[in-house]
Amino acid sequence: MKTEIRGTHFTALLLLVLALGVSALAGMNFMSMWKDDLFLPAPGFEKHMLSEWHGGLKNTPADVPVFIQQGEEPGGTVFIMGGTHPTEPASATTATLFLERAKVTRGRLIVITQVNAMGFTHNSPQEAHPQHLTFTTADGSTRTFRYGSRLTNPIYEWPSPDIYIHPASGQQLPGKERGNLNRCYPGVPNGSLTEQLAFALTEMIRKEKVDLAFDLHEASPEYPVVNAIVAHERSMELAAMTAMDLEFSGIPIRLEPSPKNLRGLTHREWGDYTETMPILMETGNPVQGRFRGKTDERLAMTGVDKAYVKAAALGYLYIPYDGSQPMEYRVGRHTAAILSFLDNLELFDESKAVKVENIPSFDDIQEKGVGYFLTPAKL
Amino acid sequence: MDWFWPEGFYALLMVGSFAFGAFALKLPIAIALGAAAAVGALAGGEGFPLRHFVEGTFGYLDTILIIATAMVFMKTVQKTGLLESLAAWVIRKFRRTPLMLTMGLMLIIMIPGMITGSSTAAVLTTGALVAPVFIRLGVPVLKTAAAIALGAIYGMIAPPVNVPVMIIGGGIDMPYVGFAWPLLVCTVPLAIFAGLILIYPSLRKGARNEEELEAQLQKMEEATLSFRLLLPIFVLVILMAGEQFFPGTWPPLGLPVNFLLAALSALFTGRPLNFLAASREAVNDAIPVLGILMGVGMFIQIMTLIGVQGFIVVSVLALPAWLMYLGMATSIPLFGAVSAFGAASVLGVPFLLALLGRNEIMVASALSLLAGLGDLMPPTALAGIFAAQVVGEENYFKVLKYCLIPAIVTAVWAVVVILNSNLIMSYLP
Repeated sequence: MKTEIRGTHFTALLLLVLALGVSALAGMNFMSMWKDDLFLPAPGFEKHMLSEWHGGLKNTPADVPVFIQQGEEPGGTVFIMGGTHPTEPASATTATLFLERAKVTRGRLIVITQVNAMGFTHNSPQEAHPQHLTFTTADGSTRTFRYGSRLTNPIYEWPSPDIYIHPASGQQLPGKERGNLNRCYPGVPNGSLTEQLAFALTEMIRKEKVDLAFDLHEASPEYPVVNAIVAHERSMELAAMTAMDLEFSGIPIRLEPSPKNLRGLTHREWGDYTETMPILMETGNPVQGRFRGKTDERLAMTGVDKAYVKAAALGYLYIPYDGSQPMEYRVGRHTAAILSFLDNLELFDESKAVKVENIPSFDDIQEKGVGYFLTPAKL
Repeated sequence: MDWFWPEGFYALLMVGSFAFGAFALKLPIAIALGAAAAVGALAGGEGFPLRHFVEGTFGYLDTILIIATAMVFMKTVQKTGLLESLAAWVIRKFRRTPLMLTMGLMLIIMIPGMITGSSTAAVLTTGALVAPVFIRLGVPVLKTAAAIALGAIYGMIAPPVNVPVMIIGGGIDMPYVGFAWPLLVCTVPLAIFAGLILIYPSLRKGARNEEELEAQLQKMEEATLSFRLLLPIFVLVILMAGEQFFPGTWPPLGLPVNFLLAALSALFTGRPLNFLAASREAVNDAIPVLGILMGVGMFIQIMTLIGVQGFIVVSVLALPAWLMYLGMATSIPLFGAVSAFGAASVLGVPFLLALLGRNEIMVASALSLLAGLGDLMPPTALAGIFAAQVVGEENYFKVLKYCLIPAIVTAVWAVVVILNSNLIMSYLP
């Protein structure tokens, strides 16, 4: 007797059960990304929530912790923001380093480590990125952080409009870019969650009278604005001083003016809508590039990639690439640049000085690794 | 060998597995793609990465919804008799002026693509509307499908909305400003060319048998062309245009909801319509393509995971300068076989970076044109396959044959535009 397989109720049921099983297993994997990462702030930091500056974020996934440490001496206010794009891990890691080590002796330091928390809960389809990155701390224990997506999780932004029209300028972008925090500034109080997040950050900078604000990023090595500082007109003098200092220290860095017609980004909108001096910084990160080979945690941590070696030989890269671009180097660059900015801020305007101690130097980070300077988690 | 191994081997293995599954084992394309992805993952040392397979498919979630709902829309307006009735009206009105009819209908095919940035939307809306006109006026079915597919692609690339160029520009933080003229330069001459070689010769000949045509027209006019019958079209135009022209005040419903609302409005045309049956039929027709998209999503994700993507991109960029133009004219459309938007992102951005120094707006526009050609490339061939469906042709490869010359001209035109980008821009307002 011939058994029918095609087009039978039994086959349909079997396929349905199989699909449900696959969905359940994949769903469990995806939901594992919903668990928050652990952060261990240094003594002196007070935890606030961003919704204190825009009530619309309260009880939403866009509401993120804001850590503030006030030094004993009066001074200015500096804001370090990591995690705008969760695919750029040196950003959140540098902010975490400051959060877990900083001792502020003058002025005030504000830190957000994973500002677009909604981007850390998923990975971008077809990018095959790792889900987690693990660092080994000084006592041999490990700290794990999520590696997310450039965009807000679609479960908070879906459906995207066909075209995202930046509300403040009318600039057109692909619809999904509404989930890109760094295209949504200055933000919209009653807009999408990402637009509201941008609005809350702009409000916080304005109300807290932040003098100097950092938005930390990474870029693919083939992108022209990489190993770079992008500065608003108001920040340009300070940024130029810092760029020179970094060059003297053997850390080559480009200085780029914030384009006036590229709207929605921190270096433009924070400068135009608040009194702060905005600074956006980029390091080179092969795992987000188009030339990358095998995509995994190793690549995100080491930047070792033969495709980038070939691309460098062909002259397609905008960074000096000697075969690797490790996390230590990328976090070290951001850290050294921030410390240099803080030194120059005092020279620029003494009343705005912010002094931070206990942050490792570029050389220390290269030598001992990033994990060494993170606080070991108590099991 | 160091460069080729192992990523080059993985690339060959994945493509070979797909070809074996699709052609030797006669598996459905979607299954063959998924199986090739599984083979690639296994060879690349990733085992059976369920997360990556499922995650890859999500890259096309929006596209799948657009296609499914656009098909529902097309089926409903077909069932109400609107398509035939409208076609009869156009034939009566314009058949004595074939050149104007050719150009006018090419523009009409392009419009939904221009507004939405989606070639599928164009094929399944105005493409479906004009298909009966062409066919009744004597244009061969395959040429009709080819013209619709090409017109839809040129519409997708033409301003005001061009998603591939936004993706390419986004790769170097280039705002979507100043693209209108360059995109018109890229598309308008080609749309005219496609109309002239595919449609105009047949229209100029006119109907061979006037009596037969008149009988056909009367049959097509069974449903009277009225405001009520046209309601789904009006609803769709208003919903699409509202989102585009009144951002902030108009709710951003997105194309799938727009299509569904427009399809539902067909219930108020006064014509008999079983909406559920029409929807079932539409989704049934669309499922093979939706499956292909999911298979492609898995395939790309695994290519990226095991390093094949970087191998392909850098290999193309490593071509000597004179070969690079040939490389981009072939690799971008070929990569479009997996997705036009994917080609824009994966290859369009690196090529734009490699061509910095030429006028970036013009170059990005031309690269987006090449990416658009990907919508003709099997197995996905979104524009092509749906155009074939619209005219009732089951074998897309027969349609592709008629697309070849315009597609080659399109690729050549894109390269000419890139090579002369600075010169062309100097003449534009």
